[in-house]
Amino acid sequence: MTEKDHSSAEDQKLVRAAQKGDMAAFEELVARHRDKIYARALSMMRNEQEAIDLSQEAWVKGWQRLKQFQGEASFGTWMTRIVINLCLDQLRKQKRQRTESIEAMTEESGGVERHMPVLTVNPTAGLERQELRQRIERALNQLSYEHRTVLVLHEFEEMEYKQIAKTMDCSIGTVMSRLFYARRKLAALLVDLKKSD
Amino acid sequence: MDYDAQLKLQSYLDGELPESEARDVANWLAQDREAVALFAELRNTRQACVGLEVGVTLPESREFFWSKIEREIDRQQQAEPAPRPSSIFAAWRRFLMPAGAVAALGMAAMIGLFSASQGPTHEMAVADPGAFTYHDFSAGTTLVWLSYPAENEFADNFE
Repeated sequence: MTEKDHSSAEDQKLVRAAQKGDMAAFEELVARHRDKIYARALSMMRNEQEAIDLSQEAWVKGWQRLKQFQGEASFGTWMTRIVINLCLDQLRKQKRQRTESIEAMTEESGGVERHMPVLTVNPTAGLERQELRQRIERALNQLSYEHRTVLVLHEFEEMEYKQIAKTMDCSIGTVMSRLFYARRKLAALLVDLKKSD
Repeated sequence: MDYDAQLKLQSYLDGELPESEARDVANWLAQDREAVALFAELRNTRQACVGLEVGVTLPESREFFWSKIEREIDRQQQAEPAPRPSSIFAAWRRFLMPAGAVAALGMAAMIGLFSASQGPTHEMAVADPGAFTYHDFSAGTTLVWLSYPAENEFADNFE
């Protein structure tokens, strides 16, 4: 395949070529999906350099495991699963290296989210997209990685509870509980950010 | 509102409830203002996240990012141990290892049979029609059984 063929070929065709060792075909796949893979790593890691490094690692792993790709899901979805697993491994490693966060302790000590007053105003109403994004980014930074990851997998990756439980190696009940906490906490943080402006 | 009810409301929002339960929650929402408020808060938070990642781009050029990936792939391929060349010696070794094991088993079986044929551990003999003798060499015991009524030289001697 020529370079021109690569840029116009469908993912499936590029994957088949890459599986036979065509590096140029794989390069085209990287170019097509690199932003999505990076965005997923960034949403989970909250650190630009770590997100770049992990997305690069995901692509290297993708190349090594390419023969295992059977096409059950799209190539982009398959690659996203690889980067999610790498990010989870990294986050777990980081968690082991530091003491438990206050967030996690709060969750385990009784679930404050159950008793938080319900917000009657929408803290995101009337915000410009860019401003909303910045506020949510800041709020996401304040969540523990478990809560943030559940939120990211559900809201951005559009995974069902069952899929999230499998990915995070926990029960569906834990997923529901973490998602509920994350949403309520996020809402409360957005209100705080609005007040502080 | 208890915690299970709160989680059920969330499951309803996420479309994770079976139809019958979803109908119950819809009815509940029609009557309970507290549930409506919580449902609205959860929905607003969810909607705030929609499309948040649109426009996120990797802050490195295509060429630079690919060059790092390519380099790492090459490095890992070179680091992999090369498969050892097959030789006649290796082929012989593959044959000899199981053959040796079979031979060792055969030897052990032969030794067992040979030692068993070295001599009996016991012996039984009928010296004459009226006496039966049993020798146990390992225990150093000899038993003589005399038939009754005694019709042999031992019996004659006892009389």
